[in-house]
Amino acid sequence: MDHSTNSIVISNTDSIPGRNIVEFYGVVTGNTVRAKHVGRDIMAGLKNIVGGELKGYTELLQDSRAEATERMVQQAESMGANAVVNVRFATSSISQGAAELFAYGTAVRVS
Amino acid sequence: MAQRFGCREMENTIDQLSLFFNYGLPLVLLLVAYFVGSRIEKKHFSNIQKREDELHGFPVVSFDTMPEDWQVASSHMVTGSIVISLDYFKRVIAFVRGLFGGRIKTYEPLLERARREALLRMSESAREQGYDAIFNVRLETSRLANAGRDGKGTAGVEMLAFGTAVKFASRFG
Amino acid sequence: MKFIPKKPREGINVSDVHPLAEAGTLIVGLIGVFVIVALLLIFIVEVALYFVPAETEAELFSDWLPEDLATVSPSDERLYQTQLLTDRLASHWADAPYAFRVEIDDSDVANAMALPGGLIIVTQGLLDEVESENELAFVIGHELGHFRNRDHLRALGRGIVMSLFYAVVMGNDVAGIGINSADITLRGFSRKQESKADEFGLAVVNAEYGHVSQASRLFERWDSTDGNTPGIAKYLATHPQPGDRANKLRLIAERDGWRTDGQVTSLTW
Repeated sequence: MDHSTNSIVISNTDSIPGRNIVEFYGVVTGNTVRAKHVGRDIMAGLKNIVGGELKGYTELLQDSRAEATERMVQQAESMGANAVVNVRFATSSISQGAAELFAYGTAVRVS
Repeated sequence: MAQRFGCREMENTIDQLSLFFNYGLPLVLLLVAYFVGSRIEKKHFSNIQKREDELHGFPVVSFDTMPEDWQVASSHMVTGSIVISLDYFKRVIAFVRGLFGGRIKTYEPLLERARREALLRMSESAREQGYDAIFNVRLETSRLANAGRDGKGTAGVEMLAFGTAVKFASRFG
Repeated sequence: MKFIPKKPREGINVSDVHPLAEAGTLIVGLIGVFVIVALLLIFIVEVALYFVPAETEAELFSDWLPEDLATVSPSDERLYQTQLLTDRLASHWADAPYAFRVEIDDSDVANAMALPGGLIIVTQGLLDEVESENELAFVIGHELGHFRNRDHLRALGRGIVMSLFYAVVMGNDVAGIGINSADITLRGFSRKQESKADEFGLAVVNAEYGHVSQASRLFERWDSTDGNTPGIAKYLATHPQPGDRANKLRLIAERDGWRTDGQVTSLTW
């Protein structure tokens, strides 16, 4: 993800390449729970017979991931951090047709 | 499929009963589940906030490798977990939401609580055992299936937090 | 690296929508969607009916009988008389699409049904209850009215629509509220169909006897013995209230100038 001095840098490594971590604050998380609508359900059912990409679901999860990441970044910003390192994602299905997605990492201040 | 002339004796009571069962009962159950559930939720949240304040100053991070200035005497893996059940109100609203699509806003506080509780339990257990910090924290969620009813439906959601707890050799900064 | 303990702001991972507000919106939206889809599907059924003429229906169902029917023997006297009555009444309907067959259902509950293919079913209970031939003639005329409006096929369409909905809702109670709203909408149409069939029935009786005396006697009896459904539940009924039906028939007789007095024909059994 490209960064400017105003937005938060995210990385899934222990440190931001080329920069030093000066302070660290703690774990920040962001999560979303989304459901698809009945139409996508039916399309997915049909696709299960022929195979291929479930475009509706791909979009759903991409949107969820973006939202979860955004929330995690908001938590980091509220702590005064300017980077989040060691970001990980986890997806799970909560109930029939609803997928939970969360992102977590450590909020830090880099030089 | 038949067009009846009118079976009037039975229709009256059945219609009034059906009005109650089809509209009244689900809505009443829904409201009861909502009010009870939301009280439980509020209490849990204030409890969580209190315990988080007590743990203020206890480092919990998700770094893969330890910060260099940590000198560690011993370490051990610690875990914390919780299983939360989805109440009737939330399940029903989630189902209807599943017809229309979109964010299931009623589940969000539930998962937030579960996650913070799991992290707290992990941290508290580490602190009790005398550790000073936890790193490489991971979070996992899994869904538990219903025991009866062919295993369909959700009995609850488990949130697991685990990481490596360390005891410092000497106090630093 | 220095550790500085900090907490994030509360409420980032939670939406600020009140759950009851969200629940309310969802349920109202659900009811709206179900009612709209029900109306759309009914419209489609109407269009389909236009393309399936009565002659095709006659061909398909000419010998059909429902399986669970407990019929009486073909030589039953009442069956014979009722069939004669039906033939006489149907003769007033110039372009009747099929010949009407009568069967008697061995049930104590007073009822009459119009089924595909020109099949009219009356119950023993109904034959026991009617006090004159004019009353029975009105009942049969009412069923003929249903055939003329092709209501029995509409009921079939309605059954298919409801099955579709049940498949989507899958037993969830609150989503079932959506199905109920759709059903209640459909019952409104059902009541209108019943009124139109009443009107046709009265016209047929007038054509046969020259007057409509005693035709609505059945409703008047039901009105006084069982009363009308109070309150909201009358909107759930598939038929209009007996009192309303009797009144409506009186009004129609006045409007069309039909005699309400005349020789009442008694039953021949």
